[in-house]
Amino acid sequence: MMRVVTGNYAAAYAAMRARAEVVAAYPITPQTFIVEHIAEFINNGEMDAEYMAVESEHSAMSAIISAEATGVRTFTATSSQGLALMHEMLFIPPALRLPIVMAVVNRTVAAPIGIWCEYNDAMPQRDTGWMMVFVENNQEVFDMIIQAYKIAENSDVLLPMMVCLDAFILSHTVEPVSLEEQEAVDEFLPKYKPHVYLLPEDPMAVGTFTPPEYIQEVRYQEDVAMRNARRVIARVDEEFGEKFGRKYHGLVEKYMVDDADVVLITLGTVTSTAREIVHKLRDKGKKVGLVKLRFMRPFPEQELREIAENVKAIGVYDRSVSFGSGGPAYIEVRNALYGFDIPVINFLAGIGGRDVMAPDINLMFEKLYMAADGAEKKNIIWIGTRGVEP
Amino acid sequence: MMTIKDLPLEDYFTSGHTACPGCGPAILAKVIMKVFGKNTVIYTPANCLLVFGGTYPYLAWKVPYHHVAFENTAVCIAGIRRALKRMGRDDVHVIGIAGDGGTADIGIQALSGAAERNEDVIYIMYDNEAYMNTGIQRSSSTPYGAWTTTTPVGKVRAGKTEFKKDVPRIMIAHNVPYVATACISFPNDLLAKLEKAKRIRGFRYLQILAPCPTGWRFPPEKTIEVGRLAVETGMWTLYEYENGVMRINHKPKMIPVEEYLKLQGRFRHLSEEDVKRIQDYVKRKWESDLALCRAYGGCE
Amino acid sequence: MLAAQALASAAFHDGYYGVAFPFFGAERRGAPVLAFARIDREKIYQKTQIYEPDCVVVLDDKLVDLVNVAEGLKQDGIAIINSSKKPDEIELEREAKVAVVDATTIALEVLGTPITNSAMLGAFAKATGIISMDALEKGIMDIFGPRIGVERAKRNIEAAKKAYESTDIGVCKGGRMFEKGKKWLPNWDELPIGLATRALKTDVGLVGIGSFVENKTGTWRTFRPVINKEKCVNCLLCWFYCPDGAIKRVSDGVEVDYDYCKGCGICANECPVKAITMVR
Repeated sequence: MMRVVTGNYAAAYAAMRARAEVVAAYPITPQTFIVEHIAEFINNGEMDAEYMAVESEHSAMSAIISAEATGVRTFTATSSQGLALMHEMLFIPPALRLPIVMAVVNRTVAAPIGIWCEYNDAMPQRDTGWMMVFVENNQEVFDMIIQAYKIAENSDVLLPMMVCLDAFILSHTVEPVSLEEQEAVDEFLPKYKPHVYLLPEDPMAVGTFTPPEYIQEVRYQEDVAMRNARRVIARVDEEFGEKFGRKYHGLVEKYMVDDADVVLITLGTVTSTAREIVHKLRDKGKKVGLVKLRFMRPFPEQELREIAENVKAIGVYDRSVSFGSGGPAYIEVRNALYGFDIPVINFLAGIGGRDVMAPDINLMFEKLYMAADGAEKKNIIWIGTRGVEP
Repeated sequence: MMTIKDLPLEDYFTSGHTACPGCGPAILAKVIMKVFGKNTVIYTPANCLLVFGGTYPYLAWKVPYHHVAFENTAVCIAGIRRALKRMGRDDVHVIGIAGDGGTADIGIQALSGAAERNEDVIYIMYDNEAYMNTGIQRSSSTPYGAWTTTTPVGKVRAGKTEFKKDVPRIMIAHNVPYVATACISFPNDLLAKLEKAKRIRGFRYLQILAPCPTGWRFPPEKTIEVGRLAVETGMWTLYEYENGVMRINHKPKMIPVEEYLKLQGRFRHLSEEDVKRIQDYVKRKWESDLALCRAYGGCE
Repeated sequence: MLAAQALASAAFHDGYYGVAFPFFGAERRGAPVLAFARIDREKIYQKTQIYEPDCVVVLDDKLVDLVNVAEGLKQDGIAIINSSKKPDEIELEREAKVAVVDATTIALEVLGTPITNSAMLGAFAKATGIISMDALEKGIMDIFGPRIGVERAKRNIEAAKKAYESTDIGVCKGGRMFEKGKKWLPNWDELPIGLATRALKTDVGLVGIGSFVENKTGTWRTFRPVINKEKCVNCLLCWFYCPDGAIKRVSDGVEVDYDYCKGCGICANECPVKAITMVR
């Protein structure tokens, strides 16, 4: 059923279609509508789930960790400070191997306090063991939450996933979304079969105090699971495409990359704007390409190396900063491209929710051409910052 | 009413755990499991019980056991309960057993939230009046004057300068179905309260005084004796609050507090004036417990 | 741990570089624990735990029966053991230089409690000759003083001195067999996913749910309860109060399971008819 809905609605609707059984959440702008919609679905009898209106995000994550450990599918959503407050709890599901799915509406983390889009909430969670996907539009919000459960619950993975959507640009924007029927989703996503549970007839210890003789092996299990996820993400995307006719190409989407001289790597909604710019530049005879970096975890190392084989310069767009070192996506891309002798440049823009406009993206491609010719020496370029020459 | 003789032989918290000799909370864990039995899920936050009840790969619990973190016991057990409800398992008891630090300090937000939502769980605070697992640091449940490693006996200041936080009253203010205080030294009262908690549905809070020989600095054989004196001096009142009615279950003999204090190394440094201050506190506490009991219709 | 720290501090007073550290674990009072000390004329850089010591100090003689205390001990190393036996009555895995001292009796006499760490330091000073008694006194005062007060630290010094006087050095018997340390150490892919563990029977014993039952804590005990069945009225208070589940209900009353009894003495203290006594 095609409807014109917000990203928040698409997220809530996907949680319902995935048959999440326990939902615990705490309201925070701009995630609020997700929890409101879920409460409405439940109170209208459309969704059959336990709703826990907890007193903090820390408790929201705690509640669904324990509910998932008991043996049911769960869902939560948060933003910004809420994700930061959850930080301590984020380490738990990857280690206990609980396939939780969470929507993260990316919002700047104080100070200064703001409510608009920045990735400094999600990026610092990269080392917790969660899979992280950044989406481009509201359809992808819906589709990736459904896919996320299937990927996370795969027995070779069993890791949680956060589906990251841009504050306001997606969360509060309506656009047409195909909200799939329950039967179709059920066929794609089977009933959850937990591998851990808390039931007296088959008692298990889930989360014991553990000495060094075992913790390193647990970490290795997590590492292997994250590596396995690369393969499973690609396969689930294929299956999803066959079922619903929409594909996202796994960890990265290549857009006009094959014959490109220079490529720009983007995350989130900036990708959409960049697509248009790529078209315009192509019309002018410029061979530019775009790489939509979908997953920050697992990170598409191999895919990026293949792309780097045939281009003269790579730009990486970041919506947050690791101070003094550039943006997190840039740092990861450089790490993936170890040994390559081509310029890799970081573009920092849209910080704090500022719009990333067409001229900004044009400028990025200009800089990439300059870098390819050896005329641009800066590695990290702040775009649109008053008083800073880009 | 259940008495000691009615308790089953079977232990679902086994021997072989690594608690200190004379550990009060170990007694409590054993007794809780004798009352609740097989059909129980246990959650413990970070505390002594986490460590002495299980160090991987070994575990004393014979029932499903879960730990997530320190400050979220109440909401984790609520999460378990909600999931069990989805699975149609209303027959399973869900119990969180947290210490006083994990309850009165870092855990109070999750506790208050779960109580306000009247989550259908049992929350047991074993009160040993300090952070024992990390090496005897003061909590808000540590009594006035007590030595701990963060209220050391120094040249210009000695012991805790604040009185014990009254968490049971905070829980009564949440208007939950059941709040009870108990002490391991009063077996029949303790068993009656655990039994009652087992029958009632909704949020149940029990705060059970469980002396710690290591942290309170008394010989391990005195654990029960010290607990008994805590009650008989009026330092700790045994009462329960059930569906809006409060009852005091034991009228203390009001033995002078000195008898209680002198058994414990943690009070060794107290001046006469300190002891008098504690005696005054006990008097006020008892009077206000009585007043509260009258207000909630359980006492003449 | 305090003993190892006091030893490092004493070594410092004698002009050495001393390092002491605990076994990196969560210790409970009374449970068997390990602590380590390194002493050298040069600065010590090594940060690992010690696996091949020059000297093993055994604070509790019951451990000699349970643990292969000579495991890893260097060929010319020495084992210093708290025991009322003579050196040649001690039996270890192999013949080795040993020093014995009845530290428990000394501690009970001097300190009034069976905490033997200070006495064993006295034995160490005597047996190895590395540390002078003078330096040891300072070391004990440095470490014990701030913890337990100057007066009690002085009594610990007295215990150390007494032990120094009565330490007996000789050679022990060898040939005792010990089971190799049992540990369940599966590979990463054999461990349960996320360590969610049921009750598992492994070739080294039970792990997971309920498995602590194979941990025999009776070895912690110094005093043991003895029940006088004549006097017992079967009130079951001891059964209720025992923190370790070491009192068992049997057809004619109660009995002690010494496999688990840690010797806390609650049962004897609470018995309303004084039917239980604690004996060493």
